[in-house]
Amino acid sequence: MTFWSRTARISVCLALLMMIMAILVEITPLGENPWMRVFFGVSALNFTLRAAIPLVLGALSGILCERSGIINIGIEGMMLAGAFAGFVAKSSTNDWPLYASLLFSVLVALGVGGLMGLLHGLFSIRFRMDQIISGTVIIILAAGLSSYLYDRDAISAGKFTPIPIPLLSEIPVIGPVLFNNAPITYVALVLVFVVHVAIFHTRWGLRTRAVGEHPRAADTEGINVNRQRYVNTMLGGMLAGLAGGFLVLEAVGQFQEGMTAGRGFISLAAMIFGNWTPFGALGAATLFGYTQALQNEFLLAGVTTIPRQFVSMLPYIVTIVAVSGLVGRVRPPAAVGNPYDTEGSK
Amino acid sequence: MPKPRISWLSVLWLSSVMLLLAITTLSAAPIKVGLVTDVGRVNDRSFNQSAWEGVELAKSNLGLGDRDIKYIETQDAKDYADNLAQFIEAEYQVIVTVGFALGDATVKAAKENPDTLFIGVDQYQGEALPNLAGLIFHEDQSGFLAGVLAAGMTKSGTIAAVLGTDLIPPVVAFNEGYIAGAKSVNPKINVISTYHPGEISQAFVDPEWGAATAKQAMDQGADVIFGAGGLTGNGALQEVASQKGVYCIGVDADQWFTVPAAHPCLISSAMKLITPAVADLIGQAQAGTFKGGNVFGAAGLAPFHDFDSAVPQPLKDMLTAAKAGLDSGIIKTGYGN
Amino acid sequence: MAQANSKEPKNIQKRFFLGVLLIPFLALLTALVAGAVVMLAFGDDPILAYQGLFQGAFGSGRAWSVTIRKMIPFILTGLSVAVAFKAGLFNIGASGQFVMGSVCSVAIGIHFEGLPMIIHLPLAILSGMLGGMIWGAIPGLLKVTTGAHEVIVTIMMNYLASLFAGWTVYAGGTQGQTPGPLWDRTARAISETPDVFESAQIPWLFGPPYRVHYGVFLALIAVFIVWWLIYKTTIGFEIRTVGQNPKAARYAGIRVEKTVVLTMGLAGALAGLAGTIETLGLNHKFAPEFGGQVGFDGITVALLGQTHPFGVVIASFLFGALDAGAAKMQFESGVAADIIQVIQALVLAFVAAPLIIKALFRLRSGGDDGHATKLNTSWGGS
Repeated sequence: MTFWSRTARISVCLALLMMIMAILVEITPLGENPWMRVFFGVSALNFTLRAAIPLVLGALSGILCERSGIINIGIEGMMLAGAFAGFVAKSSTNDWPLYASLLFSVLVALGVGGLMGLLHGLFSIRFRMDQIISGTVIIILAAGLSSYLYDRDAISAGKFTPIPIPLLSEIPVIGPVLFNNAPITYVALVLVFVVHVAIFHTRWGLRTRAVGEHPRAADTEGINVNRQRYVNTMLGGMLAGLAGGFLVLEAVGQFQEGMTAGRGFISLAAMIFGNWTPFGALGAATLFGYTQALQNEFLLAGVTTIPRQFVSMLPYIVTIVAVSGLVGRVRPPAAVGNPYDTEGSK
Repeated sequence: MPKPRISWLSVLWLSSVMLLLAITTLSAAPIKVGLVTDVGRVNDRSFNQSAWEGVELAKSNLGLGDRDIKYIETQDAKDYADNLAQFIEAEYQVIVTVGFALGDATVKAAKENPDTLFIGVDQYQGEALPNLAGLIFHEDQSGFLAGVLAAGMTKSGTIAAVLGTDLIPPVVAFNEGYIAGAKSVNPKINVISTYHPGEISQAFVDPEWGAATAKQAMDQGADVIFGAGGLTGNGALQEVASQKGVYCIGVDADQWFTVPAAHPCLISSAMKLITPAVADLIGQAQAGTFKGGNVFGAAGLAPFHDFDSAVPQPLKDMLTAAKAGLDSGIIKTGYGN
Repeated sequence: MAQANSKEPKNIQKRFFLGVLLIPFLALLTALVAGAVVMLAFGDDPILAYQGLFQGAFGSGRAWSVTIRKMIPFILTGLSVAVAFKAGLFNIGASGQFVMGSVCSVAIGIHFEGLPMIIHLPLAILSGMLGGMIWGAIPGLLKVTTGAHEVIVTIMMNYLASLFAGWTVYAGGTQGQTPGPLWDRTARAISETPDVFESAQIPWLFGPPYRVHYGVFLALIAVFIVWWLIYKTTIGFEIRTVGQNPKAARYAGIRVEKTVVLTMGLAGALAGLAGTIETLGLNHKFAPEFGGQVGFDGITVALLGQTHPFGVVIASFLFGALDAGAAKMQFESGVAADIIQVIQALVLAFVAAPLIIKALFRLRSGGDDGHATKLNTSWGGS
């Protein structure tokens, strides 16, 4: 039931429709119509996926934290910290073999993201800080520190490049879009499945949800509530760190102050939009990526009859309409935001 | 009797001239130069950096000390006037303000402080003030040459430009020149160009958008891509560098030196040379030959570097002719007046 | 617990001393020390930096004027976020509401030449507040009618506001795009509005070089009105009840829907007023670079002020001073202003979690740890 949440169903249908249209555009005369190319061209789909990846990872990060009862509005900060750490690692290992250096940097991004998650956990569990405040602290801290420490003369040489998957990448449209990507993209897509299975079909996931919904009951069942929450915030931090790593090590190849540019907040929106489910989040992130791609396609196609600002409003209007029309009321984990005190501790 | 009076007068005149000379040499000894950035860093690999390097160049040219040059990086557009006031209070003789956004604040400060000299980079002066030089560039001409080069190098017939925001005039000038230049070579060429859709604070610092958009343009068949827009443009150059058989063109400085990662694709850069122009103006301030009003800095195409052999001779000749035509005014880019 | 029950008055005194005076002071001190450690570790001179910071914020009359002026937007956006928190709503949209306030006030300010100031200025201010209010009320309205989450909608509304504002002043490029309705025709290719007429400008308090205007009084009036509204009126009671427990509020006969929309509208009007005052008092025009970053700072200020109107004023004073001193700090010591963000984050952390400070300074906690800032919101299952 959870898998086929309404958002997930709708987004899967839309994704299938998109793919079919894209294939038609590619192999039939439909492609001669410029508007069809704007909406369903391979370039739009590539852009969609690329824009969606950091959002998906960010949303998964949020899901892991919040399913265990810890609000995470600090995704933006964790992402930025991961990006910065990945950059520092990459630029100081430029003389290593490319892949060794890149993999090392990914690990560092994961590690620092995890540390940011741990910090969030410490703040909100050990020090009982309000979780929204803790998230805000993390955002500001990451922005301030990464800008202060950024050595603007440092250069990271090289980035992940696409690895086509044999045979699959030969399929028209689907091949170049889905099966000719760089590693972190594949990992992110796989992670959607992994997190879904982990949350809904493992003991660990059962505990996570128990802790996030009824911590008191979980405690009486013998689950260590706060330990579970620490683990989850750290894992969540690592995923956000990976999103940052994606930006630096795969998408751009360079760090820039504030380069997450609000992606953490949009991840947050994608998480809520997707009703705290991995596939829902994927759908939301894809929708967001697609509308961004579309806005660019319009501009590249030279649509000047409407002011470009209105074209650029598209992603945001679509999101608002979708959130209020399609999704409606979503339900967060019941205990999210509440610190948990074990009976008898002070 | 009249004679001695005249000689008295001449003595007075002479002594006052000497006094004046003494004052000017005294004040000319170590000038202090301050720089206020647009919302950005002095090492942004873009125009703030170029301007600051101009100040540093002037320092070594004029033999100033490390303590004679300082900068303030603006955090918020509302603070321009406050940041200028820091330098005025500290009695700096020359203040450089970087970016058209500081135009109003600079004009205001120049009117209120007639003894301080101001250099406004990218600031067109409607009315000339004696103590304010607006350093501007023919970005459209630089872009025009880039357009000619792109049109000459493309095989697919589609070229692209990935740009910072059209809220900033110099960026628009680059693009308009680029399109005009490309069409002058091949009227049927397909130029797809797009500006960053976000707000001004994002437009120049979003390398991922630049990279993703460059990819999008290449997916649509573009094989020469002009990246113009600070770090956003640099993101585009780096993305193009990771693909094969595609060229890229940089902007502002010779990006061969500022973005080494773009070496695999960078055939040239549409330059506006801020650094030497700023250093020049500071030198004039020191020498006392500073004049207000609009000052045009050099703009043009950077060397081809490793791609020198890849650019065919006829195209090189065409570029030389275009450059001459632009300089003499025979060729118009169609931008501006 | 035993401690808490014995000798009530003394305990309250102690709590006040700890919570209101000692802990924030120690928090600021610790944050400054931590900032100094970071600077030392990376080769900057913290003493020079803090000297510059202090001079820039309080070293002269002009410095004071900048500090006070910078408090204004912090106070108002802080209030905006704080009011929403009171009703259990998370207003991430202050920056969009700020921008709409700027644009709507300018739209009145650049028209109606010759109107007397007594009409023109209030009209422009009201227009700005109205703009912010509408921008704030929309997410509230969507929340109660469709259940759309205000966090998503306010984030999206921020982007929409900055795009809309960008369009109103758009110079139009040269490819035949129509310029925006508020664009200054004399500005050549620059996208900005003309200056507002003098009759719509908030006057300066003193002449140059002091740069503070009468807007500071508007902000303080807003503080008192909000305080009165929240703590002394029925509406305020309803807002707080909805924030604490929407179900109970419904049982008590409070119209939760109305309260949510009203609160968001109020929050929007406050953030809109922030934009209005910045525009009519300081910038005198709108250009895209006068964006709403201060809206995000409003979140921090509201949290630091523990969502209480007076707390917001104190937090704004701190933020105003840090902001005002930043340029002087860089001028004197070459330290980049980013370090200030680090200090801000740490102050917020220490104030919001007194346990950290208590642990650091080995303070005996007076009574419970519950003085930690507690917000009424989670994701508002409503």
